Parts: sequence; structure tokens; C-alpha cells
Amino acid sequence: MSEPIVEFRHITKRFPGIVANDDVSLSIMKGEIFAVLGENGAGKSTLVSMLFGMYEPDGGEIWVRGKKEHISSPRYADSLSIGMVHQHFRLVSNYTVAENIVLGLEPVRKLFGIIPYVDMKKANRDIAELSERYGLKVNPEDVIEDLNVATRQRVEILKMLYREAEILIFDEPTAVLTPQEIESFLKILEGLRAGGKTIILITHKLREIKAVADRCAIMNRGKLISVLDVKTASTDEMAKMMVGHDISFTTERKPAHFGDVVLDVQNLTVRNHAGFEAVKSVSFQIHAGEVFAVAGVSGNGQNELADSIAGLVKPSGGKVILNGHDITDSSVREHIQAGVAYIPEDRHNVGLVLDFTLRGNFPLRLYDTPKYSRKSLINYAEFTAQSEKLTAAYDIRSARGGETIAREMSGGNQQKAIIAREIDMKTPLIIFMQPTRGLDAGAVMNIHKHIVAERDRGAAVLLISLDLDEIFDCADTVAVIYSGSINKISPASEITTDETGLYMMGVKTA
Amino acid sequence: MRKFTLSCLAIIISLIFGALILWLMGKDPVAAYMNLLQGSGLMEKAKYAARQNMFTDFMSFIDALTPMIFASLAVALALKGGFFNIGVSGQMLFAGFCAHMAAMFIPSKIVVVIVGFIGGALIGALIGWLKCRFNVNEVVSSIMLNSILMYLITFYINTFYVNPVSRQSKAISEAARLTLSRFRWEGLRIDIALAFPLAIIMALLLHWFIQRTTYGYEIKASGLSPQAAYYAGMNVQRTALMTMTLSGALAGLAGVSYFCGYLASIQPGVVPSMGFDAIAVSLLGGNNPLGCVLASFLITVISKGSIYMSSSQNIEQEIASLITAFILTFAACSAIFAKKGRK
Repeated sequence: MSEPIVEFRHITKRFPGIVANDDVSLSIMKGEIFAVLGENGAGKSTLVSMLFGMYEPDGGEIWVRGKKEHISSPRYADSLSIGMVHQHFRLVSNYTVAENIVLGLEPVRKLFGIIPYVDMKKANRDIAELSERYGLKVNPEDVIEDLNVATRQRVEILKMLYREAEILIFDEPTAVLTPQEIESFLKILEGLRAGGKTIILITHKLREIKAVADRCAIMNRGKLISVLDVKTASTDEMAKMMVGHDISFTTERKPAHFGDVVLDVQNLTVRNHAGFEAVKSVSFQIHAGEVFAVAGVSGNGQNELADSIAGLVKPSGGKVILNGHDITDSSVREHIQAGVAYIPEDRHNVGLVLDFTLRGNFPLRLYDTPKYSRKSLINYAEFTAQSEKLTAAYDIRSARGGETIAREMSGGNQQKAIIAREIDMKTPLIIFMQPTRGLDAGAVMNIHKHIVAERDRGAAVLLISLDLDEIFDCADTVAVIYSGSINKISPASEITTDETGLYMMGVKTA
Repeated sequence: MRKFTLSCLAIIISLIFGALILWLMGKDPVAAYMNLLQGSGLMEKAKYAARQNMFTDFMSFIDALTPMIFASLAVALALKGGFFNIGVSGQMLFAGFCAHMAAMFIPSKIVVVIVGFIGGALIGALIGWLKCRFNVNEVVSSIMLNSILMYLITFYINTFYVNPVSRQSKAISEAARLTLSRFRWEGLRIDIALAFPLAIIMALLLHWFIQRTTYGYEIKASGLSPQAAYYAGMNVQRTALMTMTLSGALAGLAGVSYFCGYLASIQPGVVPSMGFDAIAVSLLGGNNPLGCVLASFLITVISKGSIYMSSSQNIEQEIASLITAFILTFAACSAIFAKKGRK
């Protein structure tokens, strides 16, 4: 930990309309875990993407191992022994672990000395050895699609190690992991550091930085605010620098006053596209004025649960009863009319028509009601009025107001627009599916306030999230879904985060 | 507005390229381009045959323009709804054929229009149904239908309905034809396209339908993002069916104004190329119904005027197709630019 291995010197990168990095200079030492902390849009991903050759800087220089480098492609970064694990894994899902890892660098043998073929036996052997050496447990012959997220991440790490990367970049690596998986991931990082690797960790989770990082750069709005020694800096200090002002980590809320049962789910069973039972005989009730939060690891039936209650997917069994009316087999339109607001997980493909204007997106779910159209004729004045009302009330920022194409807006503002639209429907039931994924701390706080405000209005709120901090920030009741079944329902005050984590892993069942 | 600028740019660049090629061939590009305008009745020719003048040329131009407007509207509507209707040609042919048959029994212009509308709509609906019911890609089904319909109709015409002299189908009766052919007026003989006002009305109506009605909102939403449309409570399949049916109906109107108007008979064994040109026209018009009218005007000037250009300058008529092809290429490029510019 003496000489700098990577140096950014006065790096500036502009995208149309924004300066993503503004004169950023920092150096990263060999063999350290260097964290880059910042909100979404602070420019941290852009900065390291330039090191990996995905973008080129508009100004400034990048030095690697004391040499000025012009990193024009990921392939060139590869030749400098720089590897990156992206937020969304880049694996071929129907290939085996070993096939994925050797892809592009396959050990080749020649049949009869002429016909080349991939020596998978050698590949499997090499990878087993590599996984042994770094304590990354994988079976080289498993097929990727059968593996869970944490294992896939290990495969991504092995992929870098197989390429003999010395500088390892991780982009938001723990976003998809459970608390227990995060623990073991952080151990892996420490193991890699002990093996002499340099690690660059992009994250906005302070706890992880505190746990493993040596030094930490804090970015805000494209500028480097400070580089801190993690041992001596406090979490509060780092958080303050990250957002640029003080933030409180918990949403203030009044005690809940439960009313009557609004949503009654009875033995709900939902099959996914493959015909597999993704939700298995789930039952629960949500009262007026209650935030009912469902925790769980990704892919345990959350999507199917939310979609079926919102009417997008027909359940194969059980009942969904809203205020005493059976809406199990109703159409999407009938669900909207009955009073189910839904913030879907996929805001790009489902929640918005991205190529519509913002103004055109607000009436998306109610365009057929007398407010927006009479006898099939659209009332554009009402479209505009609604757009002006919601953009002001929810502080939705965009370049050209209601005329902005939704695609051009930032993720946070897109999500705000969806939430504004759904909340404004003032329904008895509102479903939030992963409402803050990929959003920065400021936006998250704002959305949590809205969730609690909906509860205080007397709505029944179903919150489904992978983020335990979010669950405990908002929930009155916590449920845990594992492998399609709800295996725990408890008042939020009577369960801890760690305990919830155990239920999420299916280690504990009620 | 941005789209309009880009379309204009595509046209200008194409004309420059065309001029360059004409110049390399040793022809005078300015004279050639003037011939295009003259052939379309937009500029005075040096001399005219008996009973003809610039006005009669212009009216013939309108006669050729009418089916092109309908055909490009058919493509534009389908594209709005997320479908690539490459089968406008087949729908035109089928509608034209049905109208010919109907006109044998009831020689009436109204019947021709109605039968054409319904005939095209049926084929459009079939494509839409195949898409909704069996998820058959509309490009595949519509291009297959082009061939199926063409061979069936060719078989029928050659067997039962052929004019042995011209080797085309028999001509439709003048009572049913949508073009008043060689109409005498002020000592001139004019071709009057009776369906032209209908084409303009359709363009305006379609514009209004897409912009102002909830159906238009549904078509656009389903076309841009079927998942979001479904989430919005729209019946995406019904919308798809409606879009393709209407698109087919517009293609049907193109078919009758072409085979029962501009032409009086159907040539067996050939799919009208207008259905494919219409794709270029629609792209150039930015998939906007009013833009389609302007783009149809321009493309028809080039194709219709090229006949005169080839006779007066001894330039191959294919040059016109070449310029049209340039326009299509640049229009397609500009669509990409428009997307990039936004990002």
C-alpha cells in the first residue's frame, strides 16, 4: 500500500445537459479497498466506467501503474488487468459456470493435432482450483440459470480472477444480496485484498464501507467532495458529505391506527409463465392505515404476488377480496376502478410509456374516465391541468415540464411521476413494488414519506421490497416471502433485521 | 418540427445525390428536375398534345397521388400501433379484385369504395388476428399473404376474367370506376380522381382520430409499450386487431383508387409496388397523416414526372426510383438521428 496504482488527474466528463465528472483528481493505492460513495447521479459510476474503458474522458488523464493510459475499450482495460463486475451481471444464462468464465479465453486443444476444440475438462479443473484458492464456492459445471444471485456474483468475480485482473471494480455489488450474503461478500473482498488485489467499490451503503474499505472518496453532483480515511471518519460525517446536507435516516411517523380490513388475500396461488407455482397458497390481510411490508430475496414470488393483486396476472387459485368484493378474476381495468393503485417494479417497460410526454403519462391509468375523456374524445385541457398539478405537488423535475418525453427524465423523476400518478388516484389499496430501487438517498426519503402519508390518509399499503432498511423504515407489519410462501408475519416492532434475514433465507420458518 | 426538418434534409441530400448521378451520366440535372415538375403538371411544358395542357397533367398527377395517400396512411397507422404492415400491396390487390367482382353485379362507385374498404379490412383483421391468437409476426404473415393473394387472384383472372387482347383483367365499367377518364371540359380531356377528396378527408380524420380520441391514445400506447398499455388497463389485443383492421381498410381504399380508378384493370402476376413505396412515404412523412400527404405529393412528383423526363431527356426512368430509394435511405437514417438527438 505504497505506490498509487490508478490515478485520475483532473478528469472531466460531460453528457448532454450535465457535467457527470467535474475536475476529479484522486489516486488509488495498490492493495487497498477504495470505496467511491455518492448518491445516484453523483458521477461515481461514470468515473470508474472511464477506468474500464466504457467512456473516454473529455478532459484530464488516467494513469495506471505510473503510465499515462488512453483506455479506449473494455478490451484494453482487460489488457491492463482491470476487471469490472457490473450491477447487472453479464453472464450467459444457459451456459455453465466454467463456460461463462472461460468465454473468450477458452483453453484450446487440437483434435488429431488440427481440429481445435475447447478443453472443458481443463477449464473445469482450473476454475475449481481458482475457486478453492480464493474461497469462492462454486461448482464449475452448474448452469447459471439454476444459481442464485450471490453465486452468480461469485462467478463474475471468478471471471475477473481468471483473466488475472489486478484491479477489481464492483458497481453496487450488494444491492441484490441479503444481509447474510452481504456479510460473506464482504469477507470475499477482504480475502481478495489479502491476495494483493486492488478493489474499487462503488456503493451508497455506508455500513459496508465502514466494514471493509480503507479509504473512501465522496462525490456529489459530479464533484469530488473529499477522500476520507474510513477508520477515522464517522458514518454521519460521510452521509452529510454525500447528500450535501444533514439527513435523518428514519422517516418520522406517527403511530399507526388500523381500521377495517381492506385487502383480504386467501390462499392465493399464482403460476408464472413457465407454469411453475411462484406464489403458493398465500394468505394475509391488510387494514386501512397499515403499511404491510413483504421482505424477501429477489425472485421468491414477489412479482407474481404484486401482479396478481393488481390484476395483471390471473391467479390459479385462492381469492383476493377488496373491501368485501371479490376481485380475483377482474380485469386490469376493473382493478383500477375497484381502487387498486400499483407502482410496478419495472418503471421503464410497465410503469410508463417512455416515448410519451410526461403529460401523456399522467392519465395513463384513468384516461377512460369522465375526467379525461367524454365519449372517447380526449380532454387535453385536463391532461395539462393534471400534469401541472402533479409536477408542482411532487416536485417532478424535467427539462420541458409536461412536454418532456418521459425517456429523457432521470430515473428518480420518472419514479416520482409514477408515484404521483398512482397516489393521486386516492385508492383504498396502493401497492408499492420496489419503489426506490436505484434511487438516491434524497429521493428514497421523499418516497418513504409518501408511503407513510398514504397510510396516514387511511389507505392500505402493500410494500414489497428487497431492501430491509426500506422495509423497517416504513412497515407496521413485516411479512417474509420465501420460495413463494409467506413464512412469517409479525408486527414490525417485534422482529429484528437479522431475524428477518434468516426468514428470507428460509433458514427459519414460523 | 424536428422531424420535419430532418425529412426536408433527407429530401435535399437525395436530390443532390440524384443530380450528381445525372451529371455523371452527362445529363443536365436542372433540366431533368424541371421535367419532373413539368410531367406532374406543376410547370408549363414546351408543347402539349391536342386537348391537353398543364392542367390535364396536374389532374393526372392527382389521379396517381390519390392511392399513394391512402397506402401511406395505412402504413403510418399500423406503425403508430407498433405494426409493420408490409402487406399493403396484397391488401390493395385483394380490395381491388373484390371491387371488380362487385362492380360486375352492381356497377356503382359507392359499392366499389365500400367493398374495397371492407376487403382490405378483412385482410388486415386476419393479420391482426393471427398476431393476437397465435403470435404470428405481422411482417411474416403479411408478406406471405401478398404472395398467396397475388397467385389466387392471378389464377382467377387468367381463368375467368381475362381480357385476351391486353392480357390484363377485364376493365371495370366506367359507371363504377373512381376516375372519370378523359372527361371533356373546355375542349380538354381530363382524368378526374373522384376519390381524391376522400383521401384528404381520411388524412385529416386519421390525424384527429390518433390525436384526439381515446382509441388513438390506446393505439399509440400499445404501439410504444404493450406492457405499459396492459398495465393501464387497455385491451392490447383488441387494440392490435383494431389497428390492423383499420390499416387494412385504408390499404383497401388505396387498392380501389388504384385498380378501379387510376387503372381500370388488374395486371395478373404482379404485386403493386405502391404498397412498398408507401413505406418510404410514411417514413418520410414521419408517420404523421398530414406528413404522409406531403410526402406522397413529393414521391408522386418524382415517379409520375419521370415518365416525361425519360421521354424528353432520354434518361432512364429508373433514375426516379433511384432518387426515391435515396430519399428512403436518408429518411431512415434521419429517424435514427432523431432518436439519437433526443438521448
